[in-house]
Amino acid sequence: MKSMTGRPIPLLALICVLTSLYANAATTTDSANTEQLQRGQYLATAGDCVACHTAPGGKPFAGGLPVPTPIGTIFATNITPSKTAGIGNYTEQQFSDALRRGIRADGKQLYPAMPYTAYAQISDDDVQALYAWFMHGVNPFDTAPTPTRLPFPFNIRLSMAAWNLLFLDSKPFTPDPGQSAEWNRGAYLVRGLAHCSTCHTPRNLLMAEQSSRELAGGDVGTWHAPNITSDADSGIGGWSESDLIAYMKLGHAIGRAQAAGPMAEVVDNSLQHLTATDLQAIATYLKTVPAQHDPADTRAVDTWGAAFDELDSLRGVALPSDPNQMTGAQLYDAYCASCHQDRGQGSFDGGLPSLFHNTATGRTNTNNLVMVILDGISWPADGSGVHMPGFAQTLTDQQVATLGSYLLKHYGNPAAVISADQVKTLRAGGAPSHLVLLARLALIVILLVLVAIIVMLMRRRRRKALPAGP
Amino acid sequence: MTNEIQQVVPHHDDPADPSRRRLLAGLLTAYTASLIPWALAQPAPHADRGAFTALSAILVGRQALDATQTARLYDALVADDAHFPADVQSLLTLINQRQIDPLQLQNVLDTEHSPLAPLPRKIVGAWYLGVVGSGEAARCIDYETALNAVAVADVLKPPTYAYGTYGRWANKPI
Amino acid sequence: MSEQLSADIVVIGSGIVGSLAARRLALQGASVLILEAGPRLNRGRVVAAFRNSPIKGNWMGAYPPSPWAPHPIYVPKDNGYLKQAGPYPYPAEYIRAVGGTTWHWAAMAWRLVPNDVRIKTLYGVGVDWPMTYEELDPWYQEAEELIGVAGAPDTGSPRSQPFPMEPVAEPWSMRRFCERLAPAYAVVANTVARNSRSYGGRPACVGNNSCQPICPVNAQYIGENAVAAAEAAGVRLIENAVVYRIEHDAQGRIAAVHYFDPDKGTHRVTGKTFILAANGIESPKLLLLSASDKYPNGLANGSDMVGRHLMDHPSSSITFYADEELWLGRGPQSPSSINTLRDGAFRSQHAPYRLDFTNISQVLSVTQDLIKEGVYGAEFDKQLRWRAAHQVSLKNVLEVLPDPDNRITLSSEKDAMGIPKPEAHYSIGDYTRRGADVSKADFTRIAELMGGTGLRYSADGQFANNQHITGTMSMGNDPKTSVVDGFGRTHDHENLFICSTGVMPTAATMNSTLTAIALALRTAEHILPKPADVHAAALNAEREASLS
Repeated sequence: MKSMTGRPIPLLALICVLTSLYANAATTTDSANTEQLQRGQYLATAGDCVACHTAPGGKPFAGGLPVPTPIGTIFATNITPSKTAGIGNYTEQQFSDALRRGIRADGKQLYPAMPYTAYAQISDDDVQALYAWFMHGVNPFDTAPTPTRLPFPFNIRLSMAAWNLLFLDSKPFTPDPGQSAEWNRGAYLVRGLAHCSTCHTPRNLLMAEQSSRELAGGDVGTWHAPNITSDADSGIGGWSESDLIAYMKLGHAIGRAQAAGPMAEVVDNSLQHLTATDLQAIATYLKTVPAQHDPADTRAVDTWGAAFDELDSLRGVALPSDPNQMTGAQLYDAYCASCHQDRGQGSFDGGLPSLFHNTATGRTNTNNLVMVILDGISWPADGSGVHMPGFAQTLTDQQVATLGSYLLKHYGNPAAVISADQVKTLRAGGAPSHLVLLARLALIVILLVLVAIIVMLMRRRRRKALPAGP
Repeated sequence: MTNEIQQVVPHHDDPADPSRRRLLAGLLTAYTASLIPWALAQPAPHADRGAFTALSAILVGRQALDATQTARLYDALVADDAHFPADVQSLLTLINQRQIDPLQLQNVLDTEHSPLAPLPRKIVGAWYLGVVGSGEAARCIDYETALNAVAVADVLKPPTYAYGTYGRWANKPI
Repeated sequence: MSEQLSADIVVIGSGIVGSLAARRLALQGASVLILEAGPRLNRGRVVAAFRNSPIKGNWMGAYPPSPWAPHPIYVPKDNGYLKQAGPYPYPAEYIRAVGGTTWHWAAMAWRLVPNDVRIKTLYGVGVDWPMTYEELDPWYQEAEELIGVAGAPDTGSPRSQPFPMEPVAEPWSMRRFCERLAPAYAVVANTVARNSRSYGGRPACVGNNSCQPICPVNAQYIGENAVAAAEAAGVRLIENAVVYRIEHDAQGRIAAVHYFDPDKGTHRVTGKTFILAANGIESPKLLLLSASDKYPNGLANGSDMVGRHLMDHPSSSITFYADEELWLGRGPQSPSSINTLRDGAFRSQHAPYRLDFTNISQVLSVTQDLIKEGVYGAEFDKQLRWRAAHQVSLKNVLEVLPDPDNRITLSSEKDAMGIPKPEAHYSIGDYTRRGADVSKADFTRIAELMGGTGLRYSADGQFANNQHITGTMSMGNDPKTSVVDGFGRTHDHENLFICSTGVMPTAATMNSTLTAIALALRTAEHILPKPADVHAAALNAEREASLS
């Protein structure tokens, strides 16, 4: 080896120089790597990947969680860096395609239960950080989860390509120059990583989000993801930014609402860990989402009701021996008042919430009220555990309906309705969807129409080919 | 003809009946009225209930008594002892006439071996404990609205009601 | 045609002790059947019943007895179920229902102190236990992790592993005691089966201050939780099944038990192994009831010890007004104790004791005082607030020595099912009375340190009972002087075991539930040993489940 001046460079010296260069690069890379890994982890928290990609009691990101959809159960995949069961062989491009275009490494389409339509907004930088973290920050787990097998015709993943053509906007987020940096950050998070619209935006018949009704409310299995537009009655228009931040950080905003069901999971796994700046940004953005008003809401959904009791009808009166004959007041006394207090007013500091001025009782969609009575509120991820016990094993369908009606009448929206049948259906996991049947019928109809057209065309051609009669 | 008249003339105990309506003040002397000045303007639908309201207010030293609570306790006390209304009238009259200080009342009744001696405890027990009757005949009428719960409601919840989220009780009370 | 009931293991009594033993055996693969004399209860209904009860100070008011399975009631009127032979009253309270008496406890989950098992050797009083404290340690640990125990370290009971949970947050009132009594007295957080965080799928305490008679939110582990755990493990439970006779074969092995249903229909249940877990009074009653030609003194009674050595924990107390506002009633009912007087050389002379600070709301008590005193007018509210803020109370929990004349026997009176009622013969000896006298000095000193006025001591020679029923089926190595061996197996019947506070041969100074559970788990292991790795795996699974 010769230097540029032509004199030979001693090999040892070369080795030393190269080694020290490499070492420097490694340390710089190490600290840069650590920073990138931490950033990747934060972004994965914001994206709440763990919530879908981890089964209850399972290893983080190892998949297996069944996601019930109207077209069947979709099982979340293993996204640990396992080379046999996960994404250990993915290049960064393949990772990016899966995340932002819904395409697996083998070229097959993902179902939009994976919210790639939202993740499409994620920037290249952030994708890089996420990739680094998933490859180097997550423990590989070598067991493959149950594969997804949807009923025909939804098992044909190719159909997702057509669906994507119609509904996937695959451009990453572009900041709006007319808005503040804070607003843009909020928009980036809400529309992208936090993928709020996946649950909170209503969907059309083909199960795509209705982009003109951003965050106007949607259903997630037996739970309803409510309207969080800036509408003063139906949404969060009346909330202050600090209300919103408190809700995201603590899971509740006093005098407004508490996170329950899937939203409690979001706060537990994701939102409570975001920085104060990011939470502020999200709040800033949310306050500007165009208002969508539900005509059923004649006032703000968190302004219904007042302190109330029927103690006069209770004290000194024995309970009926048939549990289904218990009145709403008796049920409230026996099962709810111990925490929510005798007039529904909640504890001194609101930590055990008031039941009036509470969206839980103010909405006309009463599914969430039934669900929270059945399931309670639990935060398994951060260890804070049971926030509210569930009563599914304690109360009958009739009792839940009686109690729920009592709560709505006195602490909430008296026009809202709960029935025992509704409770029964929700307990069973919700009304069964006919989407699969409809899709199959639709296919049969299309097939028949096609056959009919072909037959007609063939007949016409045969007639033309026939010679004129004698 | 008689029926028409009966439809026009209100029922005997109807509070709106002007012939029966009287102010609590009418049951009190200047002395007792001084103990519960707000009573001067209070309607008493019925002489017995009125006497009970006045006597209760004196014994529990309160400027406001919930009307429904008053009625429920009164009904329970009467059910427990048919002689109750008469006893209440007697005691109120006694206090009126002799201007007995509430803090001296029990002493006076005990010293004089008055048959009314158990009465103040019955009334105060009803208001403060929410319980009427004793032994096997005891009945709970109020718990959360019993005056002993009300008196400390800014600091304590009645037993069985949560104080607050875990650990709140570590703070200084008030 | 009634069902032919049979199981590998038949357990009589569904309290916390019997249910946890049953659960462990079911997890080992045995078929287990629990027979419970009383009905199932519903927590919400108990809460409502308490709020509607006219005598709030009577905690048993929320637990009316069933006609077919009566339990003792004293207020408003003694129902005459537990007959009193004297000389000293023994008004024990217990609940015959699914889940047993811990529906209504304060969740005190203390261990013994090591010397408690050797007071004969060390102090020349009482008897030694047929095991060491070290042998009990792993069973205590298993029990604590199962039910979720929160405790402060270094309170006299050594442990090889930490508590499952941190101590429950200290109420303001107790903190002031702690600060003002130091260094003369060390006030520590009680060791309790109460959640200081979410544990076992149950919420943390939210301070309902009604532990006795009922925890409305399931933050305190009770027999009902044990029953649910047992049933989840595959145990079958038949409620309203009043066992009235234990049947043996010609060799003295237990063949079956017989029970009444509420209509007095009879049923026979066979099994291979039988566990008697029907509390320290109902269990000896059943053994005595099951007398036969071969066993004229009752079953397991070759020693004539069944029912004897009845012990409980008597308490005397002081109430006074502290010189600052403490406002008892915020948080759990029994948060703190002084634990340093439970052991020492003095035990050869007088009873040891724990000093327990109550945090029960004083509102009811001071209201009753004011009514009694004839206070009327605006002064009532003023006094009520002042007294509720200032009044405090503490009691001792005294050890009683085993005395064979203190015993449970069968009364000549019968209950509604025609079953003889239990009869209590009880007295409190000088050893205990001397302890009470000594503790009075502690009461006085503590009141002094708190600037106390209005000191009221409980009447000399009068003690409250604590419902820790021990001794009536004492364990020991010598069949002549004990009913069961160290593993709870009756000396006389190879396949009859007893899981109960009743097997404890001395009372010590500690609430007896945790010790009884630890002994019961040890008995279950003895009946059906668990392979070591399965044991470890199960323990780990329980630890993980507890984190949810």
